[in-house]
Amino acid sequence: MSAQPHGLIATFDTAAEIYHAAEQVRDAGYRHWDCITPCPVHGLDGAMGVRRSIVPRFSLAGGITGFCAGMTMIWWTGAVDYQLTVGGKPLFSPMFAFPISYELTILFTAFATIFGIFATNFLPMHYHPVLKYDHIVRGLDDKFFVVVEARDPKFDTKATRALLEKIGGKHITELEA
Amino acid sequence: MSAPATTVSAPLTGASAAAANPAGKALAVGLAGLSVSAIGVIVSGAHAAATSYLVGFSYWTAVAIGMLMLVLIHHIFDASWSTVIRRQYEHGLAAFKWLFVLFLPLLATPFISGGDTIWPWMNPAHVMHHGTVAEDVLYQKKAAFLNVPMFIGATLVFFAVWVWLSARLRKASFTQDTDGDLKWTTMNRKTAAFGIPMNALALTFAAIFWMKSLEYHWFSTMYGVWFFANCIRAALAFGVFIMVWLTARGDYRGILNKNHWHCIGTLGHAFVIFWAYVTFSQYFLIWNANVPEETFWYNLREIHADGTPSQWKWVGLLILFGHFFVPFLYLLSFRLKSTAAGLLRINIWIAAIILIDLCYNILPSLKDAHGDPLPFLSLNLVWVAASVVGVGGVCVWAYLRSLAGSGAKLIPVRDPRIKESLTYHE
Repeated sequence: MSAQPHGLIATFDTAAEIYHAAEQVRDAGYRHWDCITPCPVHGLDGAMGVRRSIVPRFSLAGGITGFCAGMTMIWWTGAVDYQLTVGGKPLFSPMFAFPISYELTILFTAFATIFGIFATNFLPMHYHPVLKYDHIVRGLDDKFFVVVEARDPKFDTKATRALLEKIGGKHITELEA
Repeated sequence: MSAPATTVSAPLTGASAAAANPAGKALAVGLAGLSVSAIGVIVSGAHAAATSYLVGFSYWTAVAIGMLMLVLIHHIFDASWSTVIRRQYEHGLAAFKWLFVLFLPLLATPFISGGDTIWPWMNPAHVMHHGTVAEDVLYQKKAAFLNVPMFIGATLVFFAVWVWLSARLRKASFTQDTDGDLKWTTMNRKTAAFGIPMNALALTFAAIFWMKSLEYHWFSTMYGVWFFANCIRAALAFGVFIMVWLTARGDYRGILNKNHWHCIGTLGHAFVIFWAYVTFSQYFLIWNANVPEETFWYNLREIHADGTPSQWKWVGLLILFGHFFVPFLYLLSFRLKSTAAGLLRINIWIAAIILIDLCYNILPSLKDAHGDPLPFLSLNLVWVAASVVGVGGVCVWAYLRSLAGSGAKLIPVRDPRIKESLTYHE
C-alpha cells in the first residue's frame, strides 16, 4: 500500500451543485482536479476555469504541413525529379498544385486534430484510479463527482477534505492510487 | 415594434419631418446618391454611368438575395440559434420591391440609343472586333437565350420570385408574433422547401443575364455559384452590421451571447472557403483548358492588348488576398470570430471587397478605343460609389421602415424556437 492516495472523490446530486462546487474548487486554486458528470453540463468549463483546448494548434500545424507537402510534392515530382511538359503548361505552377495541396491540407488537418485530441487527453488510457471507486458507475447515470488529485501542489488530505465538505460534497472517499 | 426613437443627432439643419428619423435620412442620402448617378450619365455618358450603376445595384441585390437565402436555410433546417437574427433579415427583405423599382431604368436601356447601353448583345449592329453582334456565330448560337424579351421576362420573373417569397416569409413570421400559431412555422418550412431552388435559379440566371452576359462570348458554369457565395457573404456581413448597431443602440442588449457571434463568424468563415473554392475552380479550369473563348475573360482583366499588365491584374490579386487569405486567416481565430468587435472589423473589410469583386466582374466591359478595359482607377469609381450610396440608401430606408413600422416585434417572440435561440449555448 503506497502511502500517497490518488486523491479524494466527492459525490454531488445535481448539476447545479457540482457547478457551484466546481467554482469553489477553482477559486481555492487547485489545478489537478476534474469533474465527472453523466451528461454535459453547460458552462462547467468556465466554472472549472478550464482554458480553451489547444487542439486547434495541432490542426493549424497539420494544415500548414499538408499544404506545404502538397506543393513540395508536385514541385519535386514535376519540376525536379521527372520533368515532363504536359499540355504546354510550365513544369511547376501553384495553379495545378493547388487541388492536391488543398486535399492534403484537409487530410493532414484531420489527422492532426484526431491525434491532437488523443495526445491532449492522454488517450488511449486503459486504466484510471477513479475506476476503482465502487460508485463510479453512478457517474454514467445520475451522480456527479469531483476528484481532487494528490499530485496537486495544494493537496492536503485534511484541508482538501474540509473544502469538499464545505462545498457540499458527500461520501468523500480516498482513492487508491 | 416601438423602436426607441434615435434622436441622438437631433439638431438638424433644414429639419424636414422626414429627416428627423433615421429612415428618412437614409432615403435622403439614397436619393442624393441616385442624383449623382444621374449626373454621371451627363459627365461620363450613359454607357459608363449605367454600367457603374449596375455594380451598385447588384451589390445591394446580392445582400438582399443572401438575406432571403439565409432565412430560407434557417427554416429548412428548423434552426434554433439564428431565430433572433432571422427577424432582422426579414426586415431586410422589404428592400426587394424597391430594388425592382431601381432596376426599371436598366430595363429601359434596350429601348434607347440602339439598345447596347450596357449589354452589347442587345444591339445586333453593335460592332465587335470581328464584325457585328448579328454576324457573330457565338451570338447566333446563344440568341434564343440572349434576347431582349427573354431578358425582360426573366428579370420580371426574378423579382416576382424574390418579392413573393419575401412577402410570404414576412407575413407568416410577423403574424406569428400576434397569434403564436404554429402553422406559420410549418408554412415557412414549406416555403423554404420550394423557395431555396426557386431563389437558387433566380440568382443564377440573374447573374448570367445581368453580369456574365456583359461578355457574352464567355462560358462559365461556376458563375451563378460565385454570385451566390458573394450573396451569402454580403448578407452575413450586413447581418453583423445590423446586430452590432442594434446592440449598441440597446435593442439587442442581452439577446445575443458569445455563441451567436461565434456561429455567425463560423458561417462566415465557411463561406470564405466556399467562395475561394468556387472562384479558384472557375479560374483553374479556364487556365488549365486554355481555350481562347474562355481565357480572354481573364486576359482582359490582366493585360492590355499589347501584353503589358493592366490595373485589373492588381485588382484581381487584391481580391485573391483580400477576399480569401485575409478573412480566412483572421477567422481562424476563435477570439476574433466570437466577439462583436472582431466580427465587425473583418466584415467591414469583406463588405468592401465584395464591392471590388463586383467591379472586377462588371466594369471591364467598359472598353477604350483599343478594346482594352478602362482602368480600375477612373472617374467611373465615383459613379460606382454614387450607386452604392444611392441604392444602399433606399435599401436601408426600406429596412428601417420595416423595422419601425411593420408591427413586428423586435425578435420573433412566439416562434417555437425562440427560447432555444435566446439560451443558445455550445
